[in-house]
Amino acid sequence: MKKIIHLTINELDHEIAVEPNKTLADLLRYDLKLTGTKKGCDTGDCGACTVIMNGDPVNSCLVLAVQTNGSRIETVEGLSTDEGIHPIQKAFVEKGAIQCGYCTPGMIMSTKSLLDKNPNPSEQEIREGISGNLCRCTGYTKIFEAIESLRS
Amino acid sequence: MKEFDIISTRANRIDTPDKATGRAVFVDDISRPGMLYGALLQSPHAHAKILSIDTSKAEKLKGVKAVITSKDAGSIKYGVSPARYDETVFAIDKVRYVGDEIAAVAAESLDIALAAVDLIKVEYEILPAVLTIEEAMKDGAPLLHEGSPKNLCAEVHQEFGNVEEGLKNSDIIITTKMKNKRQDGAFIEMQGCIAEFDNLGVLTLTSSTQVPHYVQRTVAMVLGMDIGKVRVIKPYVGAGFGIKASANPMELACCILARKTKKPVKMNYTRDQVFMLARARHQFSHTITTGAKKDGTLMAIKHECWLDGGAYTSFGIATVYYTGSLLGGPYKLDNMSYDGYRVYNNKPACGAQRGHGAVIARAAFEQQLDMIAEKIGMDPLELRIKNMMETGDTTCNDLNMSSFGMSECIEAVRKGSGWDQKKGKMPKGKGIGMACGFFVSGAGYPIYRSDTWHGTVIVKLTEDGGTALVYTASAEIGQGSDTAFAMIAAETLGIPLENVRLASGDTDMGVDLGAYSSRQTLMTGHATKDAAEHAKRQVLEVLAEQLKAPVENMDIRNGFVEFKGAAPDFSELRTRYIKEHRGWIDNPTSEKLSFKEASRIAFLERGSIVGTGKYKPHNLGGKFKGAAVGTSPAYGCSAQVAEVTVDMETGQVTIDKITDAHDCGKAINLTSVEGQMQGSVSMGIGEAMHEEVIFDKQGRVLNHDLAEYKIVTSMDMPKVEAIVVESDEPNGPYGAKEVGEGAIMPTIPAILNAVYDAAGVRLNELPLTPERVYNAIQEYKEKNKIK
Amino acid sequence: MLLPKFEFHEPGSIKEALELKKKWGSTARFLAGGTDLLVHLKKKIITTDHIISLQRIESLARITAHPDFVEIGACATMAAISETPVIQAKFSALKSGVDNIGTHLIRNRATLGGNVCNASPAGDSLPALLIYKALVLLESLDGKREVPIEEFFKGPGKTDMKADEILTGFRLPNPPVHSGAHYIQLGKRKSSEINVVNVASFLEFDPKTKKIIDARIALGSVAATPIRSLKAEALLKGKIAEETSFYEAGEKARFEDCKPIDDFRGSAAYRRAMVGVLTKRTLTTAFKLAGR
Repeated sequence: MKKIIHLTINELDHEIAVEPNKTLADLLRYDLKLTGTKKGCDTGDCGACTVIMNGDPVNSCLVLAVQTNGSRIETVEGLSTDEGIHPIQKAFVEKGAIQCGYCTPGMIMSTKSLLDKNPNPSEQEIREGISGNLCRCTGYTKIFEAIESLRS
Repeated sequence: MKEFDIISTRANRIDTPDKATGRAVFVDDISRPGMLYGALLQSPHAHAKILSIDTSKAEKLKGVKAVITSKDAGSIKYGVSPARYDETVFAIDKVRYVGDEIAAVAAESLDIALAAVDLIKVEYEILPAVLTIEEAMKDGAPLLHEGSPKNLCAEVHQEFGNVEEGLKNSDIIITTKMKNKRQDGAFIEMQGCIAEFDNLGVLTLTSSTQVPHYVQRTVAMVLGMDIGKVRVIKPYVGAGFGIKASANPMELACCILARKTKKPVKMNYTRDQVFMLARARHQFSHTITTGAKKDGTLMAIKHECWLDGGAYTSFGIATVYYTGSLLGGPYKLDNMSYDGYRVYNNKPACGAQRGHGAVIARAAFEQQLDMIAEKIGMDPLELRIKNMMETGDTTCNDLNMSSFGMSECIEAVRKGSGWDQKKGKMPKGKGIGMACGFFVSGAGYPIYRSDTWHGTVIVKLTEDGGTALVYTASAEIGQGSDTAFAMIAAETLGIPLENVRLASGDTDMGVDLGAYSSRQTLMTGHATKDAAEHAKRQVLEVLAEQLKAPVENMDIRNGFVEFKGAAPDFSELRTRYIKEHRGWIDNPTSEKLSFKEASRIAFLERGSIVGTGKYKPHNLGGKFKGAAVGTSPAYGCSAQVAEVTVDMETGQVTIDKITDAHDCGKAINLTSVEGQMQGSVSMGIGEAMHEEVIFDKQGRVLNHDLAEYKIVTSMDMPKVEAIVVESDEPNGPYGAKEVGEGAIMPTIPAILNAVYDAAGVRLNELPLTPERVYNAIQEYKEKNKIK
Repeated sequence: MLLPKFEFHEPGSIKEALELKKKWGSTARFLAGGTDLLVHLKKKIITTDHIISLQRIESLARITAHPDFVEIGACATMAAISETPVIQAKFSALKSGVDNIGTHLIRNRATLGGNVCNASPAGDSLPALLIYKALVLLESLDGKREVPIEEFFKGPGKTDMKADEILTGFRLPNPPVHSGAHYIQLGKRKSSEINVVNVASFLEFDPKTKKIIDARIALGSVAATPIRSLKAEALLKGKIAEETSFYEAGEKARFEDCKPIDDFRGSAAYRRAMVGVLTKRTLTTAFKLAGR
């Protein structure tokens, strides 16, 4: 039986009827067409589906949509503003931190959460802050450089 | 004035703003009105006869629109190399591995499709399965394919020079074995596709592929369609590394379902299905004997290799040749023999992966070079320099190094790593090691025998003037090829990069063999340059007519027409341009005639300005059997130094730093070149340290997820210092050649040599799990009576 | 991958949760962080008709410091535990245990109660709970009970929790002064790892005599459940706290206390050897911390 949930996604209020067995990742991607959030495994191993839920980055493939009732969700689509793309996105572009781009939205959401909590992370903290986001293309080096360039 | 305006810079990639904002569209992001969802039935058995398939229950399930088996798909064989087609879309008489496709369903939703798959009843007669080379080669072993006795899929025997003589004249002879483990590509985007027919019978397949062209040919052949009615589109792709470099059974099943249902059908692999399809790096078992003189001169290599192939050939025939042909270089060597065997067994098929065929041979051989150096008391770096090929040299198997900055790479990593200060001076448990490697810049020949152009490109100037549209069927899969071609087009046309728009990955745009064998920058790059020159020439010809000035006195640069000597009066042309654009606010006021004005005038005179470009390599290689494999118009090369710490009590190896220098010819985009180097190193580290596809006794993959199949995480990745060494490759566009695969070659042996330096142990089996290293250390301690 | 169909319940109190569990019996499962449950459901390793989410029961997520002990709610996430000052100050081995679970993303959802109920022999939080003498707090409609953690694990995936019970949290007595503890896990890579061996050690010593007053060692991934290394512990008591004692304890743990098996993650022999090394190393660090 579907349940009605209320949640905020990228500062927009939503009221949605969802099947209990639908994950947040599938709700975002297939129902709300927020396809910036990617799926690379569906079992919480790759981090491509990372979104920020109530301030913390999570694997949206391991959260039931019904569990997000009353939650605040941020996805990659919510980062850009009227002024243009977010400084994290800009740094990823300029430092060459993106190759195939499939891990990128998740990687950027982890980075956002990391920098929100710790504007001046050490190298080790940067590594830990994206340790759940697998990237097979870049060898992470340029991702580290992009995040380092954002230290305040 | 510098040589180039656009290339050899760090321009931002043209695709990454969309990728950073979530706007870039990958196949699973697409949906179509009325779209159905497909699912596959795959064999749970490694080897079994199919006695019967009953789809009746599945067909009756509400919401199911089609159930297909080999009855619908037919018996046309396909594969990678036409001489070795050994697959059908669905198993006909028997299944050969856990995952072999048997049937597919299309339904209104994915859960209905999956439920229907569960309702298909298959009666099997279980056959004995062979899961290793040894089992498969045993007398009386069950055969996977008729006509392949002893399950031998392919064998290669080659000798260049005289190996026996070479070894006889050697002072030092070293024989070692080396074995890796089967890999998985572990790209983050799982394969997916959408197939749809329009009302005129044209099939469009949108797929996560590296090779739209080969997929188009395979689909047309298997479905019995006119190739002109098959269009393959590659949206953004979440990487491939070789695994997505051929048509897969899901794509074919999806097309057949779309034909049967007359609806768009979407299919996706789950992560465990990615492991089941496999097609990644083989397990190689090498035995190599190398002979050298006391002064370090390399004399001969005798090389034998066994490839654990899996159930089908896939790229295997190319792999088994590459394994031999890419060994001897980058060193001067007159005598080399190779005996290669690829064996079928009841596991998923292996195929091509970054550094196709050559990575483990290199891991074995580059360790031997260190062993020789140690025996003769020579710095291993000096030994390599002593034997190094130079620009213009040709290997004994006819591979020509038309540019070769290998020695420069060695010097770069010597300096970059502080080799001279560190080698032999590190404390116990810490070590430094180095290795070299090289790789093709595109295969010299297509996978099927043909005189085809390897790449064609169209550059069309917009009719209003000012923008160049580049159309190519090439495959951006993350490596940055779209940006490289946009940069080449901009450089050639002489206009700013932002005035180039590029569309790629669509077979309607031309022929391009795709993203494999590190071919695109050189080959599609050539075709892009050719097309841009053609378009530019037309513009300049019109200008010459209009201004009555010789065409050879004109050029376009930075968006403006440059004249040799005094500029002719172009005010008439400008007036004409401005008249065309009454009411527009951006009328030209520049001192120079702009490209925008010139291309508009060209359109007014000639109609749409379209430049076409094409490329295929000149005839390459020798005349012997298999001579084609390994040929390339150019070779990239690299040297790496690895620094490691070995925990002598636990066997844990930490890679502290990698210094990597790569000769990529002229770097089109420096940032992208470094990215390929760093990415290659990370894949090499994964293979050296953690990665291994493990099977149970029933032939099922045990670690079929990204938790248990361990690629490098942000916590494992060392600092990589990437040093770009530029040379001028005569066969490359603007002197460019490969970087995407050559850079993985030295990684594994550099690590192995560093581990030896740190711990005194030579490992001849990968990956370097703590346990394997620990065991080697214990063995070493026992042998040397160390407590 | 799709989840099977199920009914979703979201009780607001422990009592309500227990009533739902009673009503649906074995067809219902509790959902805490979901990082294992949802994966197992997707992979069809388990099935369920009802999911009872514990997420809305606020008391279950609390971490409370009392004068003599700390109580950690079953639904406290690994990230929350790691960031709690009292855990950082007094239970550093538990912090390092929870910091090693999964990835930073998993730790924002995964809960200590979930990790304990999964009862994996390799579970990262479990050895620390053993050496800190945690009490498992259980509740049913009939009342509450407390079980020492070392009696709680019954086998891989099996615990002492009854079908009508809920695990509400853990009580960890404050460690004495002059004590320290440390945890090391050994895997193949540095993030998102499933352990080959994991060991936690606790050490209390007399600063005057340097003699060891108490020692507790817990070994993971070397038996059907995480276990205490009792013979090694006994060996240490009364000995001088120094490298040779720690080495001997390691050898004792290696040869007499663990029962590892071969599997695709590692061989029994290697696991044994690493029990020795990690026991020695965790004791050495625990001693250093105890002396601070």
